[in-house]
Amino acid sequence: MDVLGPLLMRESLDHCVKCTICETFCPVSNVTPLFPGPKYVGPQAERFRVDGEPSFDSSLDYCSGCGICTQVCPQGVHIAEINTQARAEMKATRGMPLRDRILGRPTLAGRLGTPVAPLANWTLRNRLARLAAERAVGLHRDAPMPRFAGRTFQRWARRHAAPAAARRVAFFHGCGTNYYEPRLGEMTVALLEHNGYRVEIPKQDCCGLPLQSNGLFDDARAYVRRLAKRLAPYAREGVDIVGTSTSCTLMLKREALEILAMGDDADLRAVSGRVFDICEYLLAMHERGELATGFGAIPETVLYHAPCQQQGHGIGKPALDLLALIPELRVVESDATCCGVAGTYGLKREKYDIAMKVGSGLFAQVGESGAREAVCDSETCRWQIERATGVRAVPPVELLHRAAGLP
Amino acid sequence: MSHHDVVVVGTGLAGLTAAVRLAESGARVLVVAKGVGATHLSGGTIDVLGYAPERVERPREALAGLPPEHPYALVGADGIAAAIGWFKERFAAGSLAPYAYSGDVEENVLLPSAIGVARPTAVVPETMAAGDLRRDEPICVVGFRTLKDFHSALLADELGRAGLTARATELELVPEGRRDANSLGLARGLDDPAFRGQVVAQLGSRLRAGERVAFPAVLGIADPHGVWAALEHALGRSVFEVTTLPPSVPGMRVFAVLREALRRAGGTVLLNNVVTGAERSDGRVSALRTRVGLREERRGADWVVLATGGFAAGGIELDSRWTARETALGLPVAGVPGTGEERFRPGYFDDHPIGRAGVAVDRELRPVDAAGERVLENVLVAGATLAGAEPWREKSGDGISLATGYRAAELVLAASRTVVATGRAD
Amino acid sequence: MAQLQAEVLVIGGGATGAGVAWDAALRGFDVVLVERGDLAEGTSGRFHGLLHSGGRYVVKDPVAAEECVVENAILRRVIPDCIEDTGGLFVTTPDDDPAYGDRFLAGCRATGLPAEEIDVADALRLEPRLNPQIRRAFTVPDASIDAWKTVWSLTRGAAAHGARILTYHRVIDLHRSNGAVTGARLRNELTGEELDVEAGFVLNASGAWAAQILHMAGIEDVGVVPGKGIMIAMNHRLVNTVVNRCTMPADGDILVPIRTVSVIGTTDIRSADPDEIPVTQAEVDQMLDDGERLVPGFREARALRVWAGVRPLFQDAKIAAVTDTRDVSRTHAVVDHRVRDGVDGLLTMSGGKLTTLRLMAQDLVDAMCAQLGSERPCRTAEERPPGNEEPEHYRLGSRLGRREETLQDEQLICECELIGRNRLEEAMRTRGTINLDDIRRVLRLGMGPCQGGFCIYRATGILHSVDRLDGAQAAGSLRMFLQERWKGVWPILYGDQLRQARLDDWIFQGLLDVEHLP
Repeated sequence: MDVLGPLLMRESLDHCVKCTICETFCPVSNVTPLFPGPKYVGPQAERFRVDGEPSFDSSLDYCSGCGICTQVCPQGVHIAEINTQARAEMKATRGMPLRDRILGRPTLAGRLGTPVAPLANWTLRNRLARLAAERAVGLHRDAPMPRFAGRTFQRWARRHAAPAAARRVAFFHGCGTNYYEPRLGEMTVALLEHNGYRVEIPKQDCCGLPLQSNGLFDDARAYVRRLAKRLAPYAREGVDIVGTSTSCTLMLKREALEILAMGDDADLRAVSGRVFDICEYLLAMHERGELATGFGAIPETVLYHAPCQQQGHGIGKPALDLLALIPELRVVESDATCCGVAGTYGLKREKYDIAMKVGSGLFAQVGESGAREAVCDSETCRWQIERATGVRAVPPVELLHRAAGLP
Repeated sequence: MSHHDVVVVGTGLAGLTAAVRLAESGARVLVVAKGVGATHLSGGTIDVLGYAPERVERPREALAGLPPEHPYALVGADGIAAAIGWFKERFAAGSLAPYAYSGDVEENVLLPSAIGVARPTAVVPETMAAGDLRRDEPICVVGFRTLKDFHSALLADELGRAGLTARATELELVPEGRRDANSLGLARGLDDPAFRGQVVAQLGSRLRAGERVAFPAVLGIADPHGVWAALEHALGRSVFEVTTLPPSVPGMRVFAVLREALRRAGGTVLLNNVVTGAERSDGRVSALRTRVGLREERRGADWVVLATGGFAAGGIELDSRWTARETALGLPVAGVPGTGEERFRPGYFDDHPIGRAGVAVDRELRPVDAAGERVLENVLVAGATLAGAEPWREKSGDGISLATGYRAAELVLAASRTVVATGRAD
Repeated sequence: MAQLQAEVLVIGGGATGAGVAWDAALRGFDVVLVERGDLAEGTSGRFHGLLHSGGRYVVKDPVAAEECVVENAILRRVIPDCIEDTGGLFVTTPDDDPAYGDRFLAGCRATGLPAEEIDVADALRLEPRLNPQIRRAFTVPDASIDAWKTVWSLTRGAAAHGARILTYHRVIDLHRSNGAVTGARLRNELTGEELDVEAGFVLNASGAWAAQILHMAGIEDVGVVPGKGIMIAMNHRLVNTVVNRCTMPADGDILVPIRTVSVIGTTDIRSADPDEIPVTQAEVDQMLDDGERLVPGFREARALRVWAGVRPLFQDAKIAAVTDTRDVSRTHAVVDHRVRDGVDGLLTMSGGKLTTLRLMAQDLVDAMCAQLGSERPCRTAEERPPGNEEPEHYRLGSRLGRREETLQDEQLICECELIGRNRLEEAMRTRGTINLDDIRRVLRLGMGPCQGGFCIYRATGILHSVDRLDGAQAAGSLRMFLQERWKGVWPILYGDQLRQARLDDWIFQGLLDVEHLP
């Protein structure tokens, strides 16, 4: 039996004692009876599934893949992973909607949209176009879509002269930064350079997470293999890899191994041990006394929301500890579990309303806290929060960058 | 590598109690756990001692009769009383205030279980107090057809068999459109004034004079005090909730209050982390090793409180060859019969030889080996991982967790003060 | 004293008796079937779940093998819904002689069993949890069969043709007159009432209990050898194909995926009393080791339940005594008491296995017809009993699919086994029983991983609310269920199952305080 991978995930169903704790935390089943809950579709239904047989339970599709169930399970059942695998099997036997294929490939959209960004952005905000898209491919008319930046971070990176420095770090920026938020990439590089790192930005592509969460496992594996091949040389040289997309770093750390069963890919194994979420990395630097802490004051109130995928790292909330270093910044910690978007889940016509209900607690807290900005480690969550509340959502790095007075 | 004053392993009542007590006293506390603890499954009351083996009326008196290996021998009645007092204060000043607990180690209350047994417990939330079966007011048990985890007619029938006057009524209301609701769904429903209004409207005409009203344990998750008070006011009668199958809403409230108290006091909680071992030297643990997925981290600690819940969540494991193992630190496990000896008896209600297995500790809650020698200086064990009790039979689980968790914190604080004062950790 | 009349009295409500009742009823006989407990409470309710391809017997017992080959195909045709077409594998483990595989193949060819050798790599791809050290692998048409569904279906079919099925009716005496058996005295176990059945012919299909019945006719020294065997159900399907060790029949050499579990079995211990079949620790250890041989990591997997069944082996004085009950032929025989004991109107079915139940019934009823001089052809190879109208085999996922249809409307009572409230209430109504144990067996309530931790309280409440139980009965029923369930659990209470037991103890004792019910 493989040490990691789907078989291990499935076998963990033996630990389930039906305690219902996962159900009490599931953001989706608590707002809609359409989803029978993580215990039901995970360890319970898995006993009724036979590999290769057509899948019988469509309600499984309502799982958002947020992963909170796995985090809270006291017995160590890999519930979310079982669900993701089962859903992929289900889609494999039932066929994949075109929409899911599109949403699974952000680089495709990115590459197509970037050169024509103004037009693409206009289209995405055009009511009629959105209605047509909803009818044609099932993308909800109000789903929070990002804006194309019209330039890529990779292009900036190629032109950026990295200063010599004692330490090196590799930057895994992800599709979100590349096509929609290149400024975040620039800020991250500036912050790391400010702290004495030479930031190397390898050519890179998507990590395959959207493909995985939409059930296209083989395609996802191809992406992971390609990305791991690019990043592995750094890992093998002892150079750490940091990422600003907390969901993408989790993909490389764990999910590709556990869910896609890629434990035999040596590149991935090398990378997986050395990839870090950016806040995780900066906090570790701080704990070693290496972080430049000359932060200026930011006298405002912000609300911090830890995305589900960030919680999936199991590292606590390093962003909070970092933000605490900024003078006069008042950080309200949201206790909401999920913003609802869960990657591409909340964009889908049949799930949009559920996603909005799931996030409603968080949206209310944004309002109640009086925060001027919301702070969140994941780009898709930021877009969801902005869309729902009208309040600007920024990554923790942006505040640190601002407080450090960097250009 | 991170470093904390105290690393607590486990997020059940014992772990959270120790963590909150320590954090509120200024310690830098990290809690690591596989997941959320057993508060979600508990009754929401604090059982101190229900049976020994006869039904206990006065726990403080009955404690004296417990064997010296019992965890309560480590804390004493005063220790339990102190922990209870602390617990009640957390609620009085907590995130659900004025939702409050009452009761103490002097006298047990008799609350109905979901099948109508008069179950002794000591410290109860205000939402349950009116259910005390030592009072003889007749009871109307209210059920919800949509809640399969509670059967009002069965409860009323069993209460009747025990000599009480009780009857049942069932409401057809469906909260959130769910025909198959759990207690949490109904609790959310009752938090909503509109749904509550429907409940009152349907019930009002059915109730008789002088009746107190029993609900399943669903009287609100966001605002239990508000829900309970509103129902009492609107129905003009005493109202109480009855513990039923998990998920336990009253238990979730305990978790919420303690978790928020921990957050306010600056404690950190890491879920989905499994403790795989420790770095030791000179009989002390210097760091715990935890694993998430494939990643192993070292967590430096001056003190460790092990509150891993015993067999129930794999804190102690029994393998197929009948070898027992404490899974976080490999501490010696006491009370496990040897190879070839009986572990369980054929009768479900028999005394099972393995029933009291767990980690044995000395008076300072430090783990000891078979010879009674201390194994680790800076590790304390609390809660269901301790040897010497069968909480589900005695109805003592919450009391043991609360009292030993509290005591563990007190011991660490005292020892830390000693270090500060003398520069030595004795 | 109440009196019943019938042409044929069938004693025994297991697979054999059910098959006989169905066969005889189809042939137009007026049948009464009596069973001391519930249907399939004996051997049939406790067997491994295997519909033999015959592969197990091709070398050692070719007659038995041939029967299996033929009957396997027939049963697939007539009771498709009771069967899951899992397929089977015979694998040569490192402890087995690879050369046996050749004898195996030869035996298959000789008996008409369609077996094929496949690449070990293919076998491992098919079953990823199989021991990667296996040397050879062969596919066979093994399947898993739901004995309870089978028995229920056959008896319902018999009833539809006029048979009377009397459960909880124990035979307490056989009536004899002029050297013939003329009927029996029964006791209704639920009411205590006694009644007489007058029957033209008595067919003894009581399996391992046959000797006890024959004793009542004054017939002694009947060589029924109860062969006890234990089985352990593992919490989930470690394999989806029946896995057999490719070797001479041994203990613990079969792992059967049946419904949501996989069952390892079995041992083989001669038992004096078919009702005294305790599970021993040594047997449990042996099964776990045997499981480990087929599936590495077996001992870390969760064991759900352990039980013992008793094989009805027949070893007549004419056959030389053997010590290993497995060496007794697993084929069956009609014991003609007219010839053997000078007693007319009585035939006993001895030996056999569930796979050949139809053939056993056919042989028994044929023998009866011969004695009665009545030529009535057997139709059971063509007719489908109720519940098998569709020609499709049972699929594991179908319960999951059915549940999807009622997801929003019907409460799920037993979550592990996906039993909805409607189904539960229907079972309670139609079976007219207050015994939660009967319901459990019918629906498999509380037989999933949580072992009733959640569903038993719910079911008790529902049973009470549909007026089938009063408070005292509810209390008793709850306690009895807990004890019954404990029997099958305590010998395998380690690992994850122990975690579950602690939660269940918390729910039943800690929260509900069951032991202090008045």
